[in-house]
Amino acid sequence: MRRKNIIAAMVIIVITIIYGLMTLQLPTRSLPDTPGPTFFPWINVVIILFLSVVLLLSSVFSTKNFNLEFKQEETQSNHNLRALFALIGFAVYLVTLPSFGFLFTTIPFFSFLMVMFSEKRPLYILSSSVGLTFLFYFVFRYGFNIFLPQGALHDAVLKVIL
Amino acid sequence: MNPEILIGLNQSIGLMVLLSTSIGVLIGLIVGMIPGLTISTGIIVFLPITFVLPPDVSIALLLGLYVGGMTGGSFSAVLLNIPGTPSASATAIDGYPMASSGNAGRALGIAITASFIGGIVSFLFLFLVAPILAEFALNFRTEDMFSIILFGMTIICSFSAGSLIKGLLSAAIGLAIVTIGQDPVMGTQRFTFGEVNLMAGVHFLTALIGLFAIPQLISHISDQTKLGAVTQSKIKSILPNVSDLKIVKTPIILGSMIGSFLGTLPGAGGPIAAFISYDYAKKISKRPERFGSGTIEGVAAPESANNAVTGGALIPMMTLGIPGDPVTAILIGALIVHGLAPGPLMFLERADFAYGVIFSFFWANIFNFLIALLSLRILVKVLDTPRSILMPSLAVLCVVGSFALRNNFFDVYIMLFFGLIGISMKWLDMPVVPLLLALVLGGQLEENLRVALTGSQGDISIFFTSPISLSFIILSIFSVVWSFRSNRKYKQIIN
Repeated sequence: MRRKNIIAAMVIIVITIIYGLMTLQLPTRSLPDTPGPTFFPWINVVIILFLSVVLLLSSVFSTKNFNLEFKQEETQSNHNLRALFALIGFAVYLVTLPSFGFLFTTIPFFSFLMVMFSEKRPLYILSSSVGLTFLFYFVFRYGFNIFLPQGALHDAVLKVIL
Repeated sequence: MNPEILIGLNQSIGLMVLLSTSIGVLIGLIVGMIPGLTISTGIIVFLPITFVLPPDVSIALLLGLYVGGMTGGSFSAVLLNIPGTPSASATAIDGYPMASSGNAGRALGIAITASFIGGIVSFLFLFLVAPILAEFALNFRTEDMFSIILFGMTIICSFSAGSLIKGLLSAAIGLAIVTIGQDPVMGTQRFTFGEVNLMAGVHFLTALIGLFAIPQLISHISDQTKLGAVTQSKIKSILPNVSDLKIVKTPIILGSMIGSFLGTLPGAGGPIAAFISYDYAKKISKRPERFGSGTIEGVAAPESANNAVTGGALIPMMTLGIPGDPVTAILIGALIVHGLAPGPLMFLERADFAYGVIFSFFWANIFNFLIALLSLRILVKVLDTPRSILMPSLAVLCVVGSFALRNNFFDVYIMLFFGLIGISMKWLDMPVVPLLLALVLGGQLEENLRVALTGSQGDISIFFTSPISLSFIILSIFSVVWSFRSNRKYKQIIN
């Protein structure tokens, strides 16, 4: 935790400095003796910087063993790789969704996540992915009148399939 | 009788409202009993559905989910020794040993009955206290509102037990995020990077979906340990008998009172109320040595307390607009989406709606008791639902939910961004709830602070000269100290 705290504090300090620099560039429309638009962001900058420095110093001067912590984290690396893979899949899904539409992207994404959850039966994966994706689509489209993204390439993909 | 009470009662017994309440309860029971799915996540996932429903129907659904979720948590606590919600942790101490010795039905029956009584007591508390508090709150000025919101934010302390610094940092980051978009007093654009979609700021519900649901999904992927053996060994008679009810009478009353009171205090919440009730029930019991080995008092006290918390938490939410726990913070967001700002003005301008919400809470407790009791044997089968179906469904619902909020795909990317923040915070062991609280209350905090300072021409003594403001500043200090003391006690009981 000590190593993580140091990383967290340093990252937050850098982001807060950027936030502070951006606050400097904000227009200062203000009446005399009244707080303007930069007032609250400056309070935030001061509080965050103070707390991050406290976190950094308390972690640097902590007596916990660095190496032991490192070994414990190594054992989790396989699980983390799986999580990273899932996140990349999620990002790809969100990037392709507006172009290909809800149905064409959700079915493979759903199957991908099922595999991530150690599901191995292909027919079960396929039927669940297709069935549930269509269920969501129809429930939101016709039940709640929410139009899910059709996708600009929806018709083109449909033509290729049919 | 106040005619608005009758209108509210009438609103709550509409067919759609009752149907919505019962569906909410059913969903809540299911969400609550699945380990790893919190009530907050359940509400967040189902929130988009409520956007297309009338406000009374949608709030009834969410209240049902809240009440049902609290009870559902006890099912997996009793049957699996894994609390479905943190509030059910104390229930597992005696519930699981009871189930292991073949008394699963008896333990669950007591849990359901205690939840029902706790819920009804807290309904009475809500019904009697909320209108009085709302009337009093009408006299509040901006400096008072600032201090009240500050008091509301002291809830942060109870979620920062691991590290106060990290909890406060999380809240401060939330306050910084709130500054994105239009400044609430002068309308100046801040930190929008020229992006039109950011001009109205980050919608806090989009942020919530990302912060709560995505880290949960990822943590389930990285940790796929199998659940323990389900103790579903013949759930026999569920309805508690008269002799059992006599034994649990005092613990239930005690738990209901403790839960109702603690629910009103920001920073307390279900788990603390449940453990404190358990502790007191043990102290007043004639056979304290049996606690921990499967006694019905040990199930009754925490269960009545955690359900009583729900009504208590609705009091500050409805009268002051400050959340008593994370779920009520999300409920505030749901009300705002429907154009209803919770606070003292709600009882003045929409008293019929406010009473309707209170009565829907009553019906939610009635349905919770009936549905849990009648369909328990079927409901527990949900515990067998494979995660390979549940979690991908959750992921898709997150995407649909954030899109449906404003029919804007930009919100989906914002959701993913907050998901990454949530994952990072989890990795850093930084609590997410303070950030959530800051997102809910930050805008009002800034607005009231600036308006109060503008009125006093920059003189900060205004916060100490107003008796209401000063009282809430003192209460905030008390709340911080009290939160730490209760957390320490909670940890001692767990250990």
